[in-house]
Amino acid sequence: MPPEIEVGSDQGAVAGAQWWPARSAQRALRGFLGVVRQVVGAPDYARYLEHHAACHPDRAPLSPREYYADFVTWRFGSAGPTRCC
Amino acid sequence: MLAREMRRFLSAAIWITIAAVGAAGFAVLALSRGESISAAWILAAGIASYVIAYRFYARFLAVRVFALDDHRATPAERLNNDRDFVPTNKWVLFGHHFAAIAGAGPLIGPMLAAQFGFLPGTLWLIAGVVAGGAVQDFTILVASMRRDGKSLGQMAKEEINPAAGMAAMIAILAIMVILLAVLALVVVNALKASPWGLFIIASTIPIAVLMGWWMRSVRPGHVLEASAMGITLLLMALVAGQWVSLDPTWSRWFTWSGTGLSWAIVVYGFVAAVLPVWLLLTPRGYLSTFLKIGTVLGLAVAIFLILPQTRMPALTQFVDGTGPVFAGKVFPFAFITIACGAISGFHALVASGTTPKMVTRESEARLIGYGAMLMESLVGLMAVIAAATLEPSVYFAMNVPASTLGPTTDTAARVIAQWGFTLHPGQMEALARQMGEATLLSRTGGAPSLAVGMASILGRVVRGPGLALWYHFAIMFEALFILTTVDAGTRVGRFMLQELGGHLWKPFGRTSWYPSIVISSALIVAGWGYFLYQGVVDPLGGINSLWPLFGIANQLLAAVALCVATTILIKLGRQRYAWVTVVPLVWLASATLTAGWQKVFATDPRLGFLAHARAMTRSVSPDAARLIFNDRLDAALALAFMTVVVGLILASAREWWLVLSKRKAPQVNEAPFVESAYAAGD
Repeated sequence: MPPEIEVGSDQGAVAGAQWWPARSAQRALRGFLGVVRQVVGAPDYARYLEHHAACHPDRAPLSPREYYADFVTWRFGSAGPTRCC
Repeated sequence: MLAREMRRFLSAAIWITIAAVGAAGFAVLALSRGESISAAWILAAGIASYVIAYRFYARFLAVRVFALDDHRATPAERLNNDRDFVPTNKWVLFGHHFAAIAGAGPLIGPMLAAQFGFLPGTLWLIAGVVAGGAVQDFTILVASMRRDGKSLGQMAKEEINPAAGMAAMIAILAIMVILLAVLALVVVNALKASPWGLFIIASTIPIAVLMGWWMRSVRPGHVLEASAMGITLLLMALVAGQWVSLDPTWSRWFTWSGTGLSWAIVVYGFVAAVLPVWLLLTPRGYLSTFLKIGTVLGLAVAIFLILPQTRMPALTQFVDGTGPVFAGKVFPFAFITIACGAISGFHALVASGTTPKMVTRESEARLIGYGAMLMESLVGLMAVIAAATLEPSVYFAMNVPASTLGPTTDTAARVIAQWGFTLHPGQMEALARQMGEATLLSRTGGAPSLAVGMASILGRVVRGPGLALWYHFAIMFEALFILTTVDAGTRVGRFMLQELGGHLWKPFGRTSWYPSIVISSALIVAGWGYFLYQGVVDPLGGINSLWPLFGIANQLLAAVALCVATTILIKLGRQRYAWVTVVPLVWLASATLTAGWQKVFATDPRLGFLAHARAMTRSVSPDAARLIFNDRLDAALALAFMTVVVGLILASAREWWLVLSKRKAPQVNEAPFVESAYAAGD
């Protein structure tokens, strides 16, 4: 299941969170999880789609599965220490 | 006008208060002799020093020495590929960099060095980080950032000379082997004869495989979800471990000897290095990162909440070099035993690895390079506090090998009484029962005593789970991320070996060619596995010889990093400020070369490798030949490290002289200036 790309104002309404505190809570949670992903170095498919749409609009993006396989090979499968003693 | 005056007055008042708090902390540390003090004073001295150093010294480095310029686009901005080059929020990158540099080193080192009392460790952690470690990390980060994220080895090659680059690479590989051996030894000592601990660590393997499968096939890329599941399963294994340890059949299955465990870790290390990364390495990496950040934060909160009292003395008689945990005087051995936390050469590899490619604005390197290292030093201070809250008799009963203490708590109590500490009858047995272990006597390596210290601190804040659960939580925390370093380190070592081997025979350098993968992984694992096994069967416990060797290697790597940094400063025409890296370099080189020299040539067989080998020639022990060989191997290794580093220092000094005497035009290899779009706002 691909994650949602972006929650625009109307999409957020469709997603069911009409009451504004729920909507801003949802947005805050999303932001927080994004930060956590970056801190631990986890892949972020939604961000990849944004980057892809902005920089390579002529090519079809990778599927979530292809993107993850590619990410893991790059992040853990190449030289360079990612952690210390 | 008045508002400005007011602000200046307020600012001065705040900084004077911080300085006063720090001074009060140091005063209490310096003046208290024999009486127990609150951990608050250690924290006050440390945190006030960090804040002042960050505000003034790091700012001086950023503005005057490196002349960081937000108008100059960073590689993250220029080369943005949304992968390794990504402009990242500075606080996010701070967390990311901290998670990469913080490991077992800052926790284990201070625990071992506590045999000198808590004062030497505290002072070295604070002074070392402010003037040395944070400066190294910051300088290398800036240098690499200005060179499109080049690695330390590449910079040594370009800035000093190609031979220096090659020497640095071989030294890094050798250090990696020793580092992995000593960390694996810490894990073996923590899990030996501990069915509860071994059960948890063994269960991390199926948990990681399950996570790996989930993230690849079920819900691709859902790392957070898989990690939440993994942590839940891990906590269940933690609780289930208690039943395992109480059940006679199950506990027999999970009670392993040191040699058995060392073979298991060797096999595991090899398998993890050749399997596809997504199956084991990736999920374990995430699991241990979450656990590490969570536990470090939790421990910090717990220490601030309860501010425990010290029980260890500030200084022990063992500063004279007669210490039973490891041999050698406080100078130089406190300074190599505590490497990470004060200054660690390994950080130079991270600071010239992923981090420089993610910095958004140049000025943010101050928070990330200097600031994250201050945090690591704070982690070191927490380990000092955990050690200092132990009863000295308990600390020595746990950390001194059985060859000194004898087989029972009675013999141990007699030996410890000679050092002036009282181990009460039944005390160790009661403690072991409380912690859910069969015995805690001579559990060397630092991890078990750290776990006891952490359990007593965490258990006072959250009483519910009980001490035994907290103890094994702490063991799990240490063993999990040490084993993650073992997997990842073996893999990195493999790539380095393949790169070096590629110079000799081309096909070997192809990192995805299977025969080359298997051979190079086997060689790396055999390398650290050999030292691990010898450490496990060593009657002195192995830590005694391996930890100093690791410390020497790591500090010498820091010397290499500082040489590169100094060369860069001089070539940039900033020789006026070269002291910022030369002063820590001189201190580090003197302490480490002295330690290396003593480890090789000291006439005391407890201290010198060669003297021990000589003493062994008169021994009738069946192991004598093996021990003599290992002593000579350790001596040769220490000498090799020292030779390489002295050579590198001389090569750098020649370069400095050539540039300073204008015999050679300084060639600055920085990437050309490009105007940054991020600076437009200021």
